[in-house]
Amino acid sequence: MRRVVVVIACLWSSVSTAHEMLPSHPQLRPSYVSGVLQTQMHLFNKRQDVEYYEIAVFDEDFRPVPFVTGYRVIRLQYLEQLKFDVYVLADDADRAEYICSRSKLRGNGSNGAMVASRICSRFGDIAR
Amino acid sequence: MKAKIIASATVIICAPAIAEETIIMGNVESKCVINTDTTGVYGNPIAGKLSTSTADGGVEPVIRYDVALGGSYTARIVAPNSFSSSPTLTDTVFWEGSSSVKEVSDSLMADYDANAVTYEYTTEYDLHTAGTTWFSVSSLAEYGFGKAYPAGEYRAVVIAECIAN
Repeated sequence: MRRVVVVIACLWSSVSTAHEMLPSHPQLRPSYVSGVLQTQMHLFNKRQDVEYYEIAVFDEDFRPVPFVTGYRVIRLQYLEQLKFDVYVLADDADRAEYICSRSKLRGNGSNGAMVASRICSRFGDIAR
Repeated sequence: MKAKIIASATVIICAPAIAEETIIMGNVESKCVINTDTTGVYGNPIAGKLSTSTADGGVEPVIRYDVALGGSYTARIVAPNSFSSSPTLTDTVFWEGSSSVKEVSDSLMADYDANAVTYEYTTEYDLHTAGTTWFSVSSLAEYGFGKAYPAGEYRAVVIAECIAN
């Protein structure tokens, strides 16, 4: 029987890559639109293997909460950083618990990363 | 006249001595950075087995968490339970996977593994101490009942999460 040779995924190690999002406890504050709250987040891409990050807002059980931002999937080149605004309806503010950014991996990338990173900040109590 | 010249000279001499204070400011705030130190590789010791174990010729992924303030974040690591890309498979795959602490920067982190909460393929760690923790993830995928994997490239994804408390 012919042996199957399978080579898998791999960033050829030792290249340290990182994903960072701040603040850890953002506060929702009134926006220029009545009934809509906003906050500003800061995303920093130090992952050479990742070019896109997806933004999402969740409740405490990680069920999606409606929100608006410039782009839900943000293109961020290596070592680029970005400040972006996130808007949530005042009616949803009580259940909005987390705002998360998740790295998007390419399915056909030659360096097929095996680790997807997700950082979730938690909305501060004071703001709500 | 002489007095005026002396006064002017004094002003000129003194001028360079005027200095302004420059302040450097910085904040230390809770922050979590996820680093991928090593991305894993599956070894294929026998036709129907893919494993990240060194004994099987694989490489375990190593994920580093840097936390600026202790007690602010929970690390959640999900080992793979499906392929993100692979050749067409006609039988089921048996998955096994877990994560564990590989290295710590502070001895207070010694209890991370003991206090970890594990369910299904997920392990949660309370990052109660500021510093750096390295986690390694093991993954095993066996195909069918003694079946051989079709040739091709197989990819699976580990999800490393850092969730603010």
